[in-house]
Amino acid sequence: MNPYGPSVTRLIDEFEALPGIGRKSAERLANYILTSSRNEALGLAEAIRAVKDAVRACGECHNLTEKPVCDICSDERRDHQVICVVEQPKDMNALEASGAFPGVYHVLQGRIAPLEGIGPEQLTIEALLRRIRQGGVRELVMATNPTLEGDGTALYISNLLANDPVRITRLARGIASGSVLEFANKEMLADALKGRQSF
Amino acid sequence: MSTEKTPALVIRQADFSNTSRVVTFMTREFGKVACVAKGAKRLKSPFDAALDLLTHCGIVFIHKTSGALDILTEASFVHRFKPYAGELNCLYAGYYIAELLDSLTEPHDPHYRLFDESVPLLTRLEETPNWRRVVLRFELLILEETGQLPSFDACALCGRLLEDSPPAATVFIRSGFICPTCLPDATAEDGVSRPVSAGTAHILRVFSEDSNTWQDLPVTSAQAKEVRALMNLLIAQTLGKRPRMHGYLRD
Ligand SMILES: [Zn+2]
Ligand SMILES: [Zn+2]
Repeated sequence: MNPYGPSVTRLIDEFEALPGIGRKSAERLANYILTSSRNEALGLAEAIRAVKDAVRACGECHNLTEKPVCDICSDERRDHQVICVVEQPKDMNALEASGAFPGVYHVLQGRIAPLEGIGPEQLTIEALLRRIRQGGVRELVMATNPTLEGDGTALYISNLLANDPVRITRLARGIASGSVLEFANKEMLADALKGRQSF
Repeated sequence: MSTEKTPALVIRQADFSNTSRVVTFMTREFGKVACVAKGAKRLKSPFDAALDLLTHCGIVFIHKTSGALDILTEASFVHRFKPYAGELNCLYAGYYIAELLDSLTEPHDPHYRLFDESVPLLTRLEETPNWRRVVLRFELLILEETGQLPSFDACALCGRLLEDSPPAATVFIRSGFICPTCLPDATAEDGVSRPVSAGTAHILRVFSEDSNTWQDLPVTSAQAKEVRALMNLLIAQTLGKRPRMHGYLRD
């Protein structure tokens, strides 16, 4: 038996659809909304609406932004000749947090996952090719996830660019800093040996 | 409820929540098994790097008899699939193997030979760029293991061996070859008919034999084309739809 009316049930369902929210938490959130003031509650609704109206893909790199071109792409101090290719905005944010990359980005908005029905045409690969073929790009750093599909997406893109005068690199992989060799699997150790650098 | 242990191949994954995933395995001992892998998306996941697509691993899971999803408790990495360098078709052939394992088998219905032969076929996609051979061998293997392989060495209706006589010029997509004598008796049940050359008939026969002869059998590009057209049709008929990867596997 459903103890709630249709509008409360709908609100609980909406909360439950959010990542990391189960039925219990969804009910708790709905109760909070029910007991909060009208202004507080509508403030949340308005914030959601504003985000959906204002945020869009950057015209250059397809990162999420509230401007036609995002802050990174419009930053003259960054090296626009080096583009780092990532799957999602969250991957870009992680790389930005490292403070180690002086170039610009390109967000693919996913990876090629044929078994899930996601093909290259659903990503921003065409736009990436246009960016490169406009000229002035020296290096493409592939930073797709080190999974079969992430690597496959990077391979697909580098095959398309086989005859373009752009250097294609990918992130090093291997042993995580702060871990111990003993517990690294053979795959990580093989990658780390392959990617070794001079001191 | 029971705890089970088995070698496995990862054939599908989907996000379940923001930390967990549902991973479908083709296991050696239990056939296809779908498990919830709790915490699989965390950096310090309890499952090593063992849950990537087509990874060969050893798993321990709790089988729920209630019809709920099984629970993955351990996964240890044996080998990560690394398609032949620079060859996208070898990657796509690997995906295709995963797609057919998932769509042509039933949950908890073990096929030991299918598992045991899939692993070295994936290895061949790492070692040679010749994905066509691997794909054909795998298609015939899974059709045979699931009882859906057409008859390639004897007439599907009278059982007369076609080995020594020139093979029937017609293959039926479902039943297989039908000898000239029986041809008038073929029905819609036998599937659509397609003309086939003697060379291609021989290739189908050798690739579906339980031996390694297929590895070195010469195949001309015209035969490869003919075989591919037939197999694409046969697989689509068997599945009841065109598999996703048929659109990707191209020259
Ligand atoms: Zn941008
Ligand atoms: Zn006959």
